[in-house]
Amino acid sequence: MITTILIHWLLTLLFAPFFIGVITKVKAVIAGKIGPSLFQSYYDLARLSQKRSVYSSGVTWVFRLAPMIVLAAVLMVSLMIPIGIFKAPVQFAGDILVLVYLFALVRFFMIAGSLDTGFSMEGMGASREAFFSCLTEVTLFMNLLALGLLAHSISLSEMIGANYPVSWNLVGPSMLLIVASLFIVLLAENCRIPIDDPDTHLELTMIHEVMLLEHSGVDLAFMMYASAIKFLIFSSILVPIIIPVKSLDPFINLAIYLGGMTGLAVLVGCVETSMARLRLDRVRHLLLISFALAFFGLIVTWWRA
Amino acid sequence: MTTWIDASCILIVFFSLSILATYRIVGMIQIYALQSFVLSLMPLFLHAGNVSSRDIVLSLGTMVLKAGVVPFILFWAIRRISMRSEIKPIIGLGSSIVCGALLVAGAFWVSMSLRIPGKAAADLGLPCSLAVLLLGFMIMVTRTRAVTQVLGYLIIENGIFLFALSLFDSMPTLIEMGILLDIFVAVFIMAIVLNHINEEFEQGPDPEKQVKPREVF
Repeated sequence: MITTILIHWLLTLLFAPFFIGVITKVKAVIAGKIGPSLFQSYYDLARLSQKRSVYSSGVTWVFRLAPMIVLAAVLMVSLMIPIGIFKAPVQFAGDILVLVYLFALVRFFMIAGSLDTGFSMEGMGASREAFFSCLTEVTLFMNLLALGLLAHSISLSEMIGANYPVSWNLVGPSMLLIVASLFIVLLAENCRIPIDDPDTHLELTMIHEVMLLEHSGVDLAFMMYASAIKFLIFSSILVPIIIPVKSLDPFINLAIYLGGMTGLAVLVGCVETSMARLRLDRVRHLLLISFALAFFGLIVTWWRA
Repeated sequence: MTTWIDASCILIVFFSLSILATYRIVGMIQIYALQSFVLSLMPLFLHAGNVSSRDIVLSLGTMVLKAGVVPFILFWAIRRISMRSEIKPIIGLGSSIVCGALLVAGAFWVSMSLRIPGKAAADLGLPCSLAVLLLGFMIMVTRTRAVTQVLGYLIIENGIFLFALSLFDSMPTLIEMGILLDIFVAVFIMAIVLNHINEEFEQGPDPEKQVKPREVF
């Protein structure tokens, strides 16, 4: 049990920054630049972890605790997600609730930490994050419910490991809705471009990045690692749904998984280069559309069930 | 083949929902054209893949008329009277989308007790056509511009067409009714161009002149 958990964490920590690197690389290549190396996020994390954190004199223990809790909670979530051929070490009926609430915990401590600094921009970012995550959380729940109806189980491992090659034929249309809606949730939760721009440091428009402004050194590394793992988690939920191919050979399965993950990262990079950031008051319309998609998907799933 | 029919039905409802979330008339017309294109492919998927010449004629006719001519006329009308492109919804886009989702749920709920003989219980054609109808009504009711009301009408018409297609074997007259409605819509659009209904039908107090609280983020 302990070894499987350790292997799972090792894999998560090993792969997570790579896909962020893929997105950055794709964006650079499409823009006609060479771009940073695929492993730049590893170098960044290594550099940051060698530095000391600097705290302003006004912050309390909440701000110091936030990065640790954020990383720890995200690592806990990663235990419920199958990674490639490795089954999720923690799986039980109803673990989707724990997953969603652990993400809520992450958000709570991020918001609390950023409010603790007393910096007005951080308060603005925190309020936006709280508002948009309200919408994505409902959507995520709807999608997981629909998947649960399809898989006749409320355990995440069985939902995304269920026998979908048959299902794509039978329930393909509702899967289409679920996949589209989950993709928007992935973009929103990971602060990707139509919703939030991960590269900008313009305080008036940014959502997620502004909450990291006051963090430094190891704390910042924790936060960045957490968001990389979050991307890995969301794409690990999405990839087995989109590519439900399973073979007997574990290496082919692993190759399919890694290929799918890289493909999804490339897709996110393409979306980021081909779209502009939405105006802030239109973001909620996109999120509501993803909610409507998920709701419709749930209805259709229930209709066909 | 049923997978393709279901996928088309769902795409058509999704396009109606996304018209509710669009804030520019040009975008609405483009989505309408896409919706009609998907709709026009549907006759080819009926009859379990046996495509007869009648299906092809119906499909081509729909494609040319609904995905080609009608959007073209609408674009031309907009250019001709140099209309502003913002829609003027009575309720906000966000609440429109939520209401739209509820209407879709309502359509499915109603269809539970509307069993058509000879159709499988899991058939998506009936609930989806009802959903498109209701969404079209909603677009007509909540958008005040003349062109958006025509678009709402066209979406209702697409819903009727979908409804007719799902019953295609038994009621071909409905299809003819649909084509007649198309002609009516063409006349309607012409009326807009000719009478220069640039803004709204009724001349009440201009909603733009009333001071509204701005949304603050």
